[in-house]
Amino acid sequence: MAPSKIAPLEVKKPASAQPWQRYKVDSQGSTWPQTDWSSFSTLAAIAPPTDGGSLRYATPIEGDPAKGRQLAFDRARGGSCVSCHVLGKDTPPQPGNIGPDLSTVGATRSDDWLFDYVYDPRKLNKTSIMPPWGAHKIMNIPEVRDVVAFLKTLKEPHVFRDPQDNPATRTPPKDTRDNLDATDNPAFFALDRGKSAFNRLGANGKSCASCHASPETAFKTWAGRMPKFEPRLDKVLGVEEFITRHARATTGEEILMQSDDNIGLSIFLHNIANGTPINPDLSNAEAKLAVKRGQDLMQRKLGQLNMACVDCHTKERHANKWARGQYLVEFKGTVAHFPTWRTSRGDIWDIRKRFQWCNVSVRANELPPDARQYGDIELALAAINKGEKVNSPGIRH
Amino acid sequence: MAEPMRIRAKMENNAADVKVLMSHPMETGQRKNEKGDLVPVHFIQSVTAIHNGKTVLDAQWSQAISRNPFLGFRVRGAKAGDKITVNWVDTQGDKGSIDTTVVA
Repeated sequence: MAPSKIAPLEVKKPASAQPWQRYKVDSQGSTWPQTDWSSFSTLAAIAPPTDGGSLRYATPIEGDPAKGRQLAFDRARGGSCVSCHVLGKDTPPQPGNIGPDLSTVGATRSDDWLFDYVYDPRKLNKTSIMPPWGAHKIMNIPEVRDVVAFLKTLKEPHVFRDPQDNPATRTPPKDTRDNLDATDNPAFFALDRGKSAFNRLGANGKSCASCHASPETAFKTWAGRMPKFEPRLDKVLGVEEFITRHARATTGEEILMQSDDNIGLSIFLHNIANGTPINPDLSNAEAKLAVKRGQDLMQRKLGQLNMACVDCHTKERHANKWARGQYLVEFKGTVAHFPTWRTSRGDIWDIRKRFQWCNVSVRANELPPDARQYGDIELALAAINKGEKVNSPGIRH
Repeated sequence: MAEPMRIRAKMENNAADVKVLMSHPMETGQRKNEKGDLVPVHFIQSVTAIHNGKTVLDAQWSQAISRNPFLGFRVRGAKAGDKITVNWVDTQGDKGSIDTTVVA
C-alpha cells in the first residue's frame, strides 16, 4: 500500500490473449471487419510503399458515369466519397466536409488530372489525406475511370435546403446524458463487477483488498497518474495492463486485458479517481522518449486508407469536421472518460480497444491491447490531456 | 453477485419520474458467437411496475429491445415516500425485481 514500495509485477508473459485475434462480434452482435490488411502499414510496421502507378493515364478517360456515381455513393467501398465530399445535386444526406466540395469539379479539372488524383493523390498534393483509391487497390482502374466519368458530370454548385444537412453549418453533436448516473449508464454494472473482483480471493488466497484495504483513499489520484513508463518492462503501462500484471504477481489471478473482470476493475479504479486531473509522470527521460515515440506514431500513415491519427484529430488538419454523419474531435477531451459505454456497440471499451477500432477503421491491422506502441500513444494523449478531470465510466455513441 | 438492476424515482411536475436500468443480454436468437453458433434466444418478455400495490405498467417485450434495457416512465398521482416496484420475467423463466421509494 505504501507508495514508496515498488508494486510487484509479472513481467514475462503477454497481458492479452495470445496469439491475438481480432474481435469477431461484440456483445451486442455488431461485427468487426475480418479482412487482413497486412500488406499495409500498422503502428508496428511500415509496409513498403505501394506502386503509385504511372501518372498521366491515356486521355480522354472513358468511363460510365452511372457506375461511377454508384461507386462514389457506395458506403462499402472505403466509406464512399460522400464521407468527405459534397458531390453535386444528387449528394446523399449528411455528406462530410473533410475534403472540398466537388460539385463543380467537372467544370474545372481535366480528365487526366482527375484520374491521377483519384488513383493516388499523393503525387499531386502532398497534404491530401485522401486514400490512394487505385494505388491501394480499393478500386481497380476501370472503376477509377467510372468515378472520373461521374466527376466530369458535376458542374453545378449544390444548394442545401436544410442547414443541418450542410456539413459547414451542421450543429456538432452534444451528449446530454449524465454518464455518472447509474440508471443511465450500463457501465455501472461493470463497476459493480470490478468491485466484487477487487474483493474476491485469488489463487494465492489473497484479494486486492487484502493489501488495499481502503481503495477509495489509496487510489484517489492513481488512475489520473496513469499511464506510466515501467522500466521493468521497458514500456508504458496503462491501468488495464497494470491490473493484469500486478494481479499475477500478487493474488495469482489471471485477469487478461479486455476480459470482463479487467474492464470492471479498470472502471472501478478510474471511477475512484473521478474529478482528479490527468497528470502523468513525464519527468524522467524514458517517459519523454515514450511521448515522442507516441507523437511520431500519431503521424504515421496507416492501413489501406492511408490515414494518420493527426489527419483527423488535429485542427491543423481535419478535426472539427464531418466524416459523413460522424464528427471528428481533437485529441484533447478524448481520454478522460475511458473506459466508456458505447451505445452504438452495446459494449464497454477501454482506451486500447478504442485504439484498435481506430486502426480497423482506416483498414490497418490492429495490435494486441498490450502493444508497446499503444502504450506510447496512450502516454502522448495523456500529456495532451493533462489537467482534464477523470470522468469515468463515460458514455459515447 | 452484481446488482442486476437499478432504479430511481423522483417527483417532477406532480408525477413520479421513474428510471430503471436492467442488466440483461437480451439475446435475439439470431446472433452468432465467436465460434459461429447461434446464441439461444433469451430476452425479457414481461415487465410490470407496481405503485403502492397497484399495477401501473404492464409490458410485453420482444427481441427488439436492446441489451441492458432502459425503461423510463411517469406515475401520475404518486407522492414522495410512495413505493415503486419493477418486476421482469424472461424467456428462460429468470426473474428480476427491484423497488425504491419516490423522493421529492
